[in-house]
Amino acid sequence: MSPEIEEEGCAGCKPTPKWRQDFPIEWEGDHYVSRREMVKFLTLGSLLLAMANWVVALASKVLHRGSHAEQYIGTISSLDQTGSMLFRYPPNEDPCIALRTPEGKLVAYSQVCTHLSCAVVYDRAENGLFCPCHHGLFNLQGQPVAGPPIRPLPRVQLEQRGDKLFAIGLEA
Amino acid sequence: MSLRRQGTTLFAAMLAFVGAAVVLQLWLLTLSVEALLGGNYETLIPAAAGSTMLLAINAGLLRYVFRFDRDAHGE
Repeated sequence: MSPEIEEEGCAGCKPTPKWRQDFPIEWEGDHYVSRREMVKFLTLGSLLLAMANWVVALASKVLHRGSHAEQYIGTISSLDQTGSMLFRYPPNEDPCIALRTPEGKLVAYSQVCTHLSCAVVYDRAENGLFCPCHHGLFNLQGQPVAGPPIRPLPRVQLEQRGDKLFAIGLEA
Repeated sequence: MSLRRQGTTLFAAMLAFVGAAVVLQLWLLTLSVEALLGGNYETLIPAAAGSTMLLAINAGLLRYVFRFDRDAHGE
């Protein structure tokens, strides 16, 4: 213990300076306190981060629930006339595009480019879905083949009932 | 070595561990948000569970700090 913080009144002791009375914490003790406070602060931050993670996980449940709703999107005859058809799925949310491939298969994808969310369009010449913003290109399986996108387009599951076409789900 | 000096060393190590855990949680949250926006919902619950586990470890260490203080004051 420093002689400066010895009890006042002892014979031969120096009087306690004013600054020591104002700041009675030793250098080592100062570190001790700040580290302890930092651990408390970080644990509080840890609690907030864990809560935020659960909020994100629960938000996904809400979003995921709506993606399986069934929705009528149009007739196959109108799709065959234009080559592609735009619709929104889940209802009133993301724009999507349905088209018939050169092999005659019906496919549908989200129209939102996985790079920076521009709307992709069907490009017959390239036989894929083209994003005009940054020249990204997806093949008709939804996989990125050129440009900046690195993730595939979410695929909309289709069901054909006679001439009518229904969207029945969304695959990530 | 005095109890206070032991505590200082211990808290420095604990602080490093808790800091690393919080950085991991931040990384998990970043991944979760990216997965949510990308539509990959499968990883979200495990990420939240992992984050909660790290929180439990941090809370356990904080409890140890309180107990250490209590013991030191009782010494």
